[in-house]
Amino acid sequence: MKNGSLLFLGLFAALGFSWAGIVLGSNAQLATLPAYYDQGQGQAFPRRPSGVAARGQLVYQDLNCAACHTQQVRRPGFGSDQARGWGDRQSVARDYIYQTAVQLGEFRIGPDLTNLAGRKPTAPDAVDLLTLLYSGQGAMPAYSFLFENRKISGQPSDHALRLTGRLKAAPGREIVPTPRAEALVAYLLSLNTSFDYPESIPAPAAQAEGSK
Amino acid sequence: MTSASPTPSPLDETAIETAGRDPLVFLLGSSLAWLLVSGALALVASIQLHRPEFFAGCPIFTYGRAQALQETAFIYGWVANAGLGLVLWILGRLGGAVLRAANWTFVGAIFWNVGVTAGLVGIAAGDATALPRLEMPGYAQPLLLAAYGSIAVSGVLAWAGRRRPVMFAAQWYAVAALFLFPWIFSVGQVMLVWVPVHGVLQAIVQGWFAQSLWTLWMAPLGLAGAYYVVPKVTGRVLPAYDLASLGFWCLLFIGGWTGGRHLIGGPVPAWISTVAIVTSAILLSHYLIVWLNLRGAFAGGGNALRFIAFGLAAYVLGGFVDAATAMRAIAVRTQFTWFDEAQQQLALYGGVSMLIFGTLYFAVPRLTGRPWASTGLLRGHLVLSFLGLILLIGALAGAGLAQGADLANAQLSFATIAADTRPWLRFASVAQAILLLGNFMLAVNFARTVGCGKIAAVKEALVS
Amino acid sequence: MSQLPPDDPRLDRAAQSDDALLDAHEKLLGRQPDDQAHYQLLPLVMLFVVSGCILFAATYLNRYSGHFDPVIYNENLLPSKNAPVEIKVDPIALGRRVFNTPGYCATCHQPTGQGIPGVYPPLAGSEWVNGPSARVIRIVLDGLQGPVHVEGKAFGSAVMPAFGPSGFNLSDEQIAAVLTYVRQEWTNKSPAIAEDTVAKIHQQVADHKAWSETELLGVK
Repeated sequence: MKNGSLLFLGLFAALGFSWAGIVLGSNAQLATLPAYYDQGQGQAFPRRPSGVAARGQLVYQDLNCAACHTQQVRRPGFGSDQARGWGDRQSVARDYIYQTAVQLGEFRIGPDLTNLAGRKPTAPDAVDLLTLLYSGQGAMPAYSFLFENRKISGQPSDHALRLTGRLKAAPGREIVPTPRAEALVAYLLSLNTSFDYPESIPAPAAQAEGSK
Repeated sequence: MTSASPTPSPLDETAIETAGRDPLVFLLGSSLAWLLVSGALALVASIQLHRPEFFAGCPIFTYGRAQALQETAFIYGWVANAGLGLVLWILGRLGGAVLRAANWTFVGAIFWNVGVTAGLVGIAAGDATALPRLEMPGYAQPLLLAAYGSIAVSGVLAWAGRRRPVMFAAQWYAVAALFLFPWIFSVGQVMLVWVPVHGVLQAIVQGWFAQSLWTLWMAPLGLAGAYYVVPKVTGRVLPAYDLASLGFWCLLFIGGWTGGRHLIGGPVPAWISTVAIVTSAILLSHYLIVWLNLRGAFAGGGNALRFIAFGLAAYVLGGFVDAATAMRAIAVRTQFTWFDEAQQQLALYGGVSMLIFGTLYFAVPRLTGRPWASTGLLRGHLVLSFLGLILLIGALAGAGLAQGADLANAQLSFATIAADTRPWLRFASVAQAILLLGNFMLAVNFARTVGCGKIAAVKEALVS
Repeated sequence: MSQLPPDDPRLDRAAQSDDALLDAHEKLLGRQPDDQAHYQLLPLVMLFVVSGCILFAATYLNRYSGHFDPVIYNENLLPSKNAPVEIKVDPIALGRRVFNTPGYCATCHQPTGQGIPGVYPPLAGSEWVNGPSARVIRIVLDGLQGPVHVEGKAFGSAVMPAFGPSGFNLSDEQIAAVLTYVRQEWTNKSPAIAEDTVAKIHQQVADHKAWSETELLGVK
């Protein structure tokens, strides 16, 4: 190879080729994906997150929870995602159109969180999640810096965690979640994909993969 | 052309090194500092996996941030600095001229390191972007781009002003790395950080970015060094050299398309992962051609060639493992597990880093004008690197297989999964400690080699 | 430096100069055509290997591309050329979802189907749930008021609201799904209820006020 300009052009063409194919191609298909209006339920999905939940997503991002948790449910028959109750149906592109920073995740050191607030039969509630964040469980560390261990001044706070055993606060002190913890929990409780789209419905047992 | 030139002097000195010495030594020195930083962070993150209470109360080192810090320091600190330094050196030598614009390189190197530091401080403070391989906050990224341009100027000049028009394989890879990084990085910045694309397109663009960064920038950085050192040390031509350009263009044209490998089964249309699987298979031809060309590294002796041989084996094995685990039937079990991490370590550390180590061992005596200071530290680094890498990749692969088997069984809770992977992750931590110790030996050896040279030069100046 | 023995690991010696390296490789590329006319094995093997990779790639791409359609997420499927077919949701999943929606069934009858003793009747093992479908469809469509006996116990303090058009306005599909779900969940083992059945009864009894126990027992 002796022509320098040809090499330069070749490099540009090589990069442009894959960029055009993958980035432009998928952009053309998915950039303007609209929400889906469900006649039966009378509303459009996905639902937009509330302001507190949007702030919570920033906390999720800054603590990099995606290092251990995914937010994508695979189809039945492709892994045990649905058997574990993580979702009724496969996650599709439309689920993420209102997320400012999509955190699909690359590792499952902890469970998938796509449909955390929609889990059946019982989804965790705010108190469960705050307690889990404070105490940690298994491989999940205790995020004690998201909480404030402070002296009770006057009345105990309504928001204080009710803990037992060795996690209980010392007498005269209480454990109160910081606004970041509350925002994070609000975000986690907004993760609900218990609705369907035409391109993704809960597959009945008879319609397992392989049929057209 | 003339018949074979006489064997060069032991140090193979050329005049090339005089102007370029200081900035290149600075680049290599800072790369080793970053290697130690990232090694320490990797050790912390690794310990947290089996002892979650380690640094749990400290928001700076919470696992998510430690992981992001470690990756950023490794890629943008160690690989970038060392790769750039060595690529500039190779282009200077093969171009046959003194490295011009060396001051630009020095200034660029300083600002690159400032940028990486700013990025790491930003991640620790909580501004991470949570985009794998691009975690540093947006405010640090343009600085890196500008610094890169400044460093690369002398390399581009050395290439454009080369004495011989016909380029050698090492030059193709070196030039590719120089030009492709700013393009890939700026596209990634614009489409992911400044004017982010919507929804799941972020994951697709990030996948393209991460794979392009690996195949179009990091792999060429390692291969440029290998393609130069192997024929230099063995004294023979590369056996399959007529295929080398096919291998080069194959990597460049096909590499970026494999971006969808991590999105198999994910919320993206099926064609994206199908294309990634297909191109991972076609890319095997590149790995075969590299193997055919560089297999002389196994026959030759000497320290540099040992590292390059290991790096070559890991790089080619990594390519085959990538193609195998891209197949959907296997991906369903290895996705989201430690096996993916093992693959990454095999490619980034076992492949590219070991190739860079080999080139470093070859280059530093020629840059400093003296051989390495200590045989013991050199041998220690070799043994510990080999041992540590085999242990690390084996432990992570084992953890991944155990985790994959457990994940596939819906009855098993995550507590069980954690218990099953814990012993493997302990071995991985031991491996990280071994690697850190080995790299510390390299850093000390480097410091002594450079330092002794400076001291000797100062003594000479004082005496004369 | 030159006193170092030749195999000292601290210095990797170069066996050729840069010029010699560049020379030798340049010669390789500019090689004259082979006038001994014998094949080189290596490029032939590489040709086969590369062709094999490309053949695999092309076959795989052909089979699993989903025709690059953005709504095909399962690589085994192909986009359908006909008009979109009526998609049939899994009634159990839909039924479970409706049942557990806050404010609908689980709020009173509890997710376990046990109800609250004396206030809300249980659904698990209930003879109303497992009995004639006409009765239970009417209960869900229009509600139930007044005393009612379930599994031998008396209830009557709470009123069941209507979930049909005069109340929460669930669709026929949703009512059929939630009843199908309830009739096979917990200890219940009764046949599913089709959407058509619900639609027929819906037409017959639209706008009926809340049913009473005696009225329902009159229905077969």
